[in-house]
Amino acid sequence: MTELRKFWALTLRNIKCYFKDKFLFFVSLITPMILLVLFATFLRTVYIDSFKGILGLFGMEAEERVINGLAGSWLFSSVMSVCSVTVAVCSNAVMIQDKIDGTVNDLRIAPVESATLSLSYFVGNFIVTLIVMLAALAVGFVYLAVVGWYITVTGVLLILADTLCCVLFGTLLAGVVESFISQQGALSAFSSLVSSLYGFICGAYMPLSQFSVGMRNVIGVLPGTYGVGIMRKHFMQGYVEELSRQGLSEEGVKAFMDGFDGNLYVGGRQIPTWAMYTILLGTCAVLLAAYIVIVVCQSRRRTHK
Amino acid sequence: MVIEIEDLCKAYKNVQAVDGLSFRVSEGELFAFLGVNGAGKSTTINIISGILPKDSGVVKVCGEDIETRAQSVKSKVGVVFQNSVLDKRLTVRDNLECRAALYGIYGKRYRQRLEEMDSLLGLSDILKRPLVKLSGGQRRRADIARALIHDPELLILDEPTTGLDPQTRQTVWRVIEQLRTKQGLTVFLTTHYMEEASVADHVIILHGGRKAAEGTPHELKTLYAKDTLRVYSHLDEIAAYLAERGYGISREKDCIDIQVKGTAEATGLIAARPELFDDYEVLKGDMDSVFLNVTDREITEE
Repeated sequence: MTELRKFWALTLRNIKCYFKDKFLFFVSLITPMILLVLFATFLRTVYIDSFKGILGLFGMEAEERVINGLAGSWLFSSVMSVCSVTVAVCSNAVMIQDKIDGTVNDLRIAPVESATLSLSYFVGNFIVTLIVMLAALAVGFVYLAVVGWYITVTGVLLILADTLCCVLFGTLLAGVVESFISQQGALSAFSSLVSSLYGFICGAYMPLSQFSVGMRNVIGVLPGTYGVGIMRKHFMQGYVEELSRQGLSEEGVKAFMDGFDGNLYVGGRQIPTWAMYTILLGTCAVLLAAYIVIVVCQSRRRTHK
Repeated sequence: MVIEIEDLCKAYKNVQAVDGLSFRVSEGELFAFLGVNGAGKSTTINIISGILPKDSGVVKVCGEDIETRAQSVKSKVGVVFQNSVLDKRLTVRDNLECRAALYGIYGKRYRQRLEEMDSLLGLSDILKRPLVKLSGGQRRRADIARALIHDPELLILDEPTTGLDPQTRQTVWRVIEQLRTKQGLTVFLTTHYMEEASVADHVIILHGGRKAAEGTPHELKTLYAKDTLRVYSHLDEIAAYLAERGYGISREKDCIDIQVKGTAEATGLIAARPELFDDYEVLKGDMDSVFLNVTDREITEE
């Protein structure tokens, strides 16, 4: 019970440290802000023209609300999947900063189990990332409600489930990789690399279907791609169903989903939704096991010769 | 005994940071642990406070082994680090609340402890302010409050007054004295200010990870400090007189300093030529002199 209270005190402290650090908060929101700026300046027009182009191929003209909502849902599915990793990586900087400042020594001199301290960093990071993601999701839903809302209740629940999966993946990935970082330079380099690169490699800026086949296969190996896959599918589902109701043929629906990553193909094969969840959660299980091994090894190194 | 250390060794790769160190600290004692930078002070402190594992030797705090009873020992030790390690963007209250919870202190007991810390250190004006906005002295008060929040039996102060203005240094020492006299707190101090070490009950000077000298300040002064005979008149004649006798002198603008073993030697010099010594003083060797002589001796021996 006492250890649980210690754990909660540490977790709360880690969350506060993140939100009080305005610079850290700002850095972790760089990628979604870039996406929003790109969307506002030209991506929205590009998406809408592409949507209309595909619909035109099937001799259909959809309502503006559906098209606008579809563009918004594509944007927010990108924001959500990218943020789950970039926010987690930046938020985990609290743990690295503690090592750099020596604050971790002040925590270690207290009668707290090493595992409690490590777990508090992980859970703190998970909660922070989830809060930021849910805030982003709320903004996204409000935007979609204004421009055109076609997401079903089931869709909302699935998006929430996807958010949880993506946050878990991002938090575990950050926890494992950043366990080896203890210097400011390395932290800055890693954060910058993830912030700038992750959006591209997971197809946040442009659909994976527009990448070369070889590149698509490489990206298909990365588990984060499946986080984007499930998010895209569930964000777009309601809109595509509405297009279907408005007269888009089954072939048209498929072309639409294929063109905008609603369907994900790796090695020429379509990856079913259950497989995407399995790969993502399986990766989470592997990362969790790796994280536990790292924590145990680091704890042993601290307490033994 | 509050601290018992026997044959403690710790190495970092090829550097032997602590090499067969043994000492004891009694209850209620002000123990000064001195040494040049890199002498092994921080390594020893980190081992005592449970941050760093030792290579060999025995370390007991309050009668308990630091390795087998780590959690129990940690609850009895408070540490004020050389640099403030509290969370800079959180308020003093948030910092103290979090750290207190790590010792199982929360709710009513925490509020009571906070009030005690406030009356001891005057925290009310800084409780709601983030650490980053505090002055060096205010931050030090917060550090001390954090180290004392769980009412430890041993307080480790790692250069607690470095970089502080004289007034704040005085405040820090007033608090430490109050805790020692009223609560019998044992204080383990490292400092580069020798006047602080001179009020200690027991002093150890560390060099190259080994004990170079140990004793009370008085014993150390007797053994290692040299007195100074300072003269202000007949400077040229005195310089010639001392040169004849093979004394090395240190000549300043308006005085000459002569290192002597003690008052008796100074008296002997003066008695031999009383007409030269009409304006002089004998300065007793202080802890600065002890420290310099001990560390110089060790360097020479190396």
